[in-house]
Amino acid sequence: MALPRWFPLARAEARRLLTSNGPWILAILLVLWAYRPSYVGWDELGPNLTVGFIQIAGSILLPLGVLLLSYRSVVAERSSGSLKFLLGLPLTRTDILVAKTLGRSAGIAIPVIGAVAVLGLAGGLRFGLFSPLRFGAVLLVTLLYVVTLVSIATAVSAATTSTVRATGVLFGGFYLVLTVLWKPVATAIYGAATGRAVSAYDAPADGALFLLLRMSPERSYHIVTNWLLGVGNSGALFEPALTKLRTPTSINVYAVDAAFEPGSVPLYLHELSGLLVLLCWLIVPLGVARYRFERGDLV
Amino acid sequence: MTSLAIETAGLTKRYGDTVALDGLDLSVERGEVYGFLGPNGAGKSTTIDLLLNYIKPTSGTARVLGYDPWTDVVASHRRIGICPDRFGTYDGMSARQHLRLVIDTKDVDDDPDRLLERVGLADAATRPAGEFSQGMEQRLALAMSLAGEPDLLILDEPFTGLDPHGVALVRDVVDAESDRGATVFFSSHVLGQVEVVCDRVGILHHGRLVEEGSLAVFREQLDLSDDATIEDVFVELTSETVSAPEESR
Repeated sequence: MALPRWFPLARAEARRLLTSNGPWILAILLVLWAYRPSYVGWDELGPNLTVGFIQIAGSILLPLGVLLLSYRSVVAERSSGSLKFLLGLPLTRTDILVAKTLGRSAGIAIPVIGAVAVLGLAGGLRFGLFSPLRFGAVLLVTLLYVVTLVSIATAVSAATTSTVRATGVLFGGFYLVLTVLWKPVATAIYGAATGRAVSAYDAPADGALFLLLRMSPERSYHIVTNWLLGVGNSGALFEPALTKLRTPTSINVYAVDAAFEPGSVPLYLHELSGLLVLLCWLIVPLGVARYRFERGDLV
Repeated sequence: MTSLAIETAGLTKRYGDTVALDGLDLSVERGEVYGFLGPNGAGKSTTIDLLLNYIKPTSGTARVLGYDPWTDVVASHRRIGICPDRFGTYDGMSARQHLRLVIDTKDVDDDPDRLLERVGLADAATRPAGEFSQGMEQRLALAMSLAGEPDLLILDEPFTGLDPHGVALVRDVVDAESDRGATVFFSSHVLGQVEVVCDRVGILHHGRLVEEGSLAVFREQLDLSDDATIEDVFVELTSETVSAPEESR
């Protein structure tokens, strides 16, 4: 089978990342950040606590690292003029965006897989053999999350003309609001829209609230990985989710299973809808960016 | 197959109220070396940017090697070699890796080292382009444009940043490519370089083609002496802009 015509560019993008320091520094930080044994994790998950470490690695730090490694990918080439070489190649502008997204994803995914392997080794030695199936599945969803984040950053990078604007949209908008602060933001939006103040300690069994909460790719990533870990239906990290669902402690965490009576959960709040949200974030921003990138003047 | 390498009709580009290119009608024959001249801001780069799909036209049509430059990008770029103006290279990639990318994407059989040899960069093949001087970057861009023996070479200000050796090199390359049968279209505001290599020149001023032909024809038309250079032609045609520095001397 012939390779797609954007393959050489994607390979060059991946190689450029892999021969730079950034992704490897990220991988080291991920290991240090994610190895966090906890009593509740061990009590409830046993050796699969190690699988939970992958989820910790995928939270807060990974999105920040991926955005940092991707936000300049197109806009910086525009200002440096190297985009002129790419545009001069026999590639459509869409080919260039696809090559950028997939090449950068590969260049980040390889060090991330390395970090996850180290976590698996360290966790396996300390806590015993985990389920390789759950480990592989959570790793796969984490890689999907990486591709999604690269895609979002590439989209913003391709749709803006200044690095400053790309930085503002991605870090001020996407990272801060949709990744770090989405729980209070979504709670506030829901409160403003319905006139009912809600709290995660005692959340109402309202599908709209929980649907709004999982619009964040980070929370959707948690929902899918918590499902694969057997934790329950929650957009929080596995440890607070377990605390909420399996211990008598009342904490500030949203969990579908805690708010709804068993059997009354709407179908759209199934954990798999988190996967759908991730896929939408993967495709929609890049699709919009492609529309603009194909039509505009690029120099 | 059309006998024209480049053909534009009424090609116009406006940025708001500014007209960068104003209804350009241009025909470049296959196999000729065409010099596209004009002062800075005349619209030379705008024309080239349009022909290469870097920007989209406000109105007008164009054909490059018979292809629509804005819809048949893949087919046309396979057969064009491009040396852009005000470009940047990838700091972390070596000269050879730059060429590999072009050769592999064009899906042609060419040797990066042979191309680097041609532009005098054989010794720098493995060095990262981030360490290159402006002249070396220009040579690298020229090597990239030559990959795969293109039918049409589009060189935007190829003499920029080159020392006299580099200038001679560009001239030699243009001659060799022309002998091979390639069409060469290049822009320049450095006039002395142009008349030596060009079969035909077009002079662009304020976004319009003000004159086109060979130097001999210009001499006759403008009633200039036999030893008049292209500079004189240029001054005669675009006097307001070009003559100013002369007078202040």
